[in-house]
Amino acid sequence: MSKVRTDTIAAVATPPGRSAIGLIRVSGPATFEVLKKIFKTGGKKTFPLPHCVYYGSIIEPGSGLTADKVLVTTFVAPHSYTGENLVEISTHGNMVVVSKVLQIILLNGARGAEAGEFTRRAFLNGKMDLLEVEAVSQLLSAGSMSQARLALNQLDGLPSHFVSRVRSRLLDHLVQLEASLNFPEDAIEAIDEHLLARDLKKILAELQIFADNARNGSMVAGGLKVALLGRPNSGKSSIMNYMLGRERAIVTEVAGTTRDTLEESLMIGNYSIKLIDTAGLREPGDRIEAIGIERTRRAVDEAFALIGVFDGADSPDGDDRLVMAELERAGKPFLVVRNKADLAQRLPDAFFEGKQQIVVSALKGYGLDQLVADLRRVIEESGLAEYEDLVLLGAQQSTALEKALTALARASAGAGQMYQDMLAIDLEEAVRELGRVNGETVDVNTLDLVFERFCIGK
Amino acid sequence: MKEIKHHQVIVVGAGHAGCEAALASARLGADTLLLTMNLSTIALMPCNPSIGGPGKGHLVREIGVLGGEMAACIDETCIQMKWLNTSKGPAVRSRRAQADKYLYRQRMTQTLFNSPNLTLRQGHVTEILVRNGCVAGVKLETGLQFECDRLVVTSGTYLNSRIILGRETWPGGPQNQSPAIGLSDSLEKYGVPLRRLQTATPPRVLKSSVDFTKLAELPGDPDAGGFLWENRLRRYDRQISCFLAFADAESVEAVRRNLSESPLMLGNITNVGPKHCPSIDRKIMRFPDQLKHQIFVEPEGWESQELYLQGLTTGMPPAAQREIVRSVKGLENAVIMRYGYAIEYDALAPGLIRKTMESRALKGLYTAGQLNGTSGYEEAAAQGLIAGINAALSIKGRSPYWPSRTSSYMGVLVDDLSIWQKPEPYRITPGHAEFRLTLRDDSAERRLMREGYGIGLVDEERFRKINEWTTRIEDELASLDGLSLFPSGEMREKLVSSGTGDLKKRVSACEILQRPGISYQDVRNLLGEEKKEWLSAADEIYSLETEIKYRGYFERESEKIARTKFLESIRLPLSVVDTRVSSLAPHIAELLLSDQFDDLNQLVRKNCLSRSELAILFTVLRQDSEEAVGDPEVLND
Repeated sequence: MSKVRTDTIAAVATPPGRSAIGLIRVSGPATFEVLKKIFKTGGKKTFPLPHCVYYGSIIEPGSGLTADKVLVTTFVAPHSYTGENLVEISTHGNMVVVSKVLQIILLNGARGAEAGEFTRRAFLNGKMDLLEVEAVSQLLSAGSMSQARLALNQLDGLPSHFVSRVRSRLLDHLVQLEASLNFPEDAIEAIDEHLLARDLKKILAELQIFADNARNGSMVAGGLKVALLGRPNSGKSSIMNYMLGRERAIVTEVAGTTRDTLEESLMIGNYSIKLIDTAGLREPGDRIEAIGIERTRRAVDEAFALIGVFDGADSPDGDDRLVMAELERAGKPFLVVRNKADLAQRLPDAFFEGKQQIVVSALKGYGLDQLVADLRRVIEESGLAEYEDLVLLGAQQSTALEKALTALARASAGAGQMYQDMLAIDLEEAVRELGRVNGETVDVNTLDLVFERFCIGK
Repeated sequence: MKEIKHHQVIVVGAGHAGCEAALASARLGADTLLLTMNLSTIALMPCNPSIGGPGKGHLVREIGVLGGEMAACIDETCIQMKWLNTSKGPAVRSRRAQADKYLYRQRMTQTLFNSPNLTLRQGHVTEILVRNGCVAGVKLETGLQFECDRLVVTSGTYLNSRIILGRETWPGGPQNQSPAIGLSDSLEKYGVPLRRLQTATPPRVLKSSVDFTKLAELPGDPDAGGFLWENRLRRYDRQISCFLAFADAESVEAVRRNLSESPLMLGNITNVGPKHCPSIDRKIMRFPDQLKHQIFVEPEGWESQELYLQGLTTGMPPAAQREIVRSVKGLENAVIMRYGYAIEYDALAPGLIRKTMESRALKGLYTAGQLNGTSGYEEAAAQGLIAGINAALSIKGRSPYWPSRTSSYMGVLVDDLSIWQKPEPYRITPGHAEFRLTLRDDSAERRLMREGYGIGLVDEERFRKINEWTTRIEDELASLDGLSLFPSGEMREKLVSSGTGDLKKRVSACEILQRPGISYQDVRNLLGEEKKEWLSAADEIYSLETEIKYRGYFERESEKIARTKFLESIRLPLSVVDTRVSSLAPHIAELLLSDQFDDLNQLVRKNCLSRSELAILFTVLRQDSEEAVGDPEVLND
């Protein structure tokens, strides 16, 4: 009984400012009534025919004055973006004109749309599921080509399709279980717990891959985090500043979660990267330092790749070894940089134990091209380049997916071991949470399905 | 002037709902009159001769704990007692009894006649008397009138009922009883809208005409115990078996040959029947490829010569019934004693019953059983009990009672029923209970005992005894939790040899018991002398083991239960003077003020509000609420 609001909304779809065209969208049951009041077609074609483009004028009903000459494209429910009757009005791209046209529309039966309301209606009318809605929102805010392609892929509905297929496979098992639990004497075939366990294990594995793709998707969407590690004064900040300056692509400068970490965005190829300058790693001297190091660790955990920076002009100490150990511990792709190559070198090659060093002088600005090129290679080799598999989830969807995974893992471990009534509870939870991931449905009317599929009744 | 007799509560109808309602009301001290059209057919079982099963058996247990009669009555009059679903887990495990229909009726009738405060009379109620918008009494066909303060109507399938048998149809109640005429008009006149429902029953065959050698025997369990707490360890050594037959391809063909005579095809019956007991005609139409259907052959009593053919429900004409029955192996020569028939009757339109079973449409009117759109003796009895309790409580000026859906199947039933909108009759199953791990058969006492005592249907003595029993289980649980032990070498050997793996650190006794394959007895053997007192009764040990072994599941469920309880604690409708209402959007305020829901949980379950509207609502309600609303996670389930 979701309440789909049935009034008619309008909003400007193009960004504010001067442009060639301004676009206004009107959607809702009264769309054509509103348009009939204010739009006079230039040609002889009857207005409105479905899915046509009309040239004509927007007239202010009271004064009879023409506000603009426009193109109106008609879409008839359900074949429109929102699933409702919809028109797109292309005006001249002057904000004064656009505002005037919108004002006339709003005075003649439509109300101003809330943020995201067109897409919300599309969702409520079944034109998109939640994954696609998420994709639209990401597409609109995509800062790099990789982010945009990821969102477009999701709009194709592949992830939605996957989730609803997994959900329906689990639902099949659940219905079978519920039939046997609720109607023990209705000659419903006994559950083959081995088969069930095997299938659940398979589904769990598939869903885990999906969840990994979602985690990677959120990495790509949020910008790939690359953390710079190194002891204080190893030159992390200069390297960071150089990379940002050279790429001339500073998008934002946000203070990190602490004053000790700083995040900056830049583009490398098609990828949006977030460089994170960490506080440095060293044996903690006091509590405050321990906290700083804890934060560095967290940055390492969240990072997609790491860059270890070492001072080539100094002999290695315990802190350098700590940095190296951290790079190896994290289990992520990393690069090692020998900085300060312009000075006399006291850091022996043996320290790197055969790892490929990138020799850099941040001060003189050499070696940094190599660093950027290597970083790009690391990203491309990571497989994140294969957008087709990546998935974008909103925060609530991620939570739901994690819950579904946990419940399914329990069910999978319990199948054949645990009583069927407990199993059914875990499966039900997994099905419900998956319904939340793509917004298909949250209610699980298992009993109705039992009656549909089995001849119940004595 | 003739004097009109006045009773505080009048119950109309003496089926399973009416009997419980009358007894509960009388036992709570209300002067109660029970009116039935036929004093000889009190507590009649016009359909199947059994009580219990998953969900239904849970209800019977709960009726017993709250102080109703069905549990005691079936325990005394059953001819078979059996556990179902034992291998599928503690939540769905339940008892089912085969009843001696005749003994059940007799015993219930005796109980009614012996109950103080209760008067029985035969009479056909044709009219409800209403004064100042409130129920004031009833008028009988004979012209006699009775006054009352509260009226409980439990008209079963009798209201304007019609029997349908093939093309033949005539006014009639179940098992050749008379229909109740007149009451429907009266209800509608006072704003209680009705709808038509139908149900049907299978033919009964002569025992001596059945070839049992071709059927599979289904014996009972001598140690299944009874439904009532007092009978939980009772042995049933003398039992009668049921039998299993199959309608195979030949029978399916026989049904198909006669389908043109099916009321479903003839269209002389409303289509709205119970989903869970479809007629054989409907089964074959809906699942044409299924060529094997079970038929349970069930005796109707110790002395009865008739067998009930569960699975062959039909309203087809006699010749067709004969052909179908005789197509079944073992029933080739069966003699039909009573033909199956379909029956169509008036029931309340949905959405008009409070969880207390009081009508939303007419003050002072309570309804229960099939009139409310349920099917099943157990469902009827449970509602009758709630209706009777509330009729009596309201006379005493006490606050109404309804069980929570977090505490019982009774709670699930009354809650579902008051917002049930589907066209077909409602039957309880574990599938309706989202908290079914908590609402187990074995936990009925712990869930409801205090409520039964609080209402007043459970006396001091019984309460004390049950309390001792539940306390024993809870104490033992605490004791095992508190018993921390470091595994001795001997113990570790035992664990390894029992296949559950070694134990290297200090653990509680509960943690050992949680391991798969380890029983209470194993723990006892492991601990030896470290603990003196141990449980010995099998039912107590079962409960304890269940509580411990599935603790993780219970804990997860109890988080959800807390949310539901909070939502249920916000009773609706809110009062117009409630200051919180003024800060809500008009359409939300309207929902909260309108008398459609009993509590906020119902509104949430019906998806009346979007998530963001709910979030706003909680913020507003939280302003005044002392309850910890917790996080908006409430919204997530």
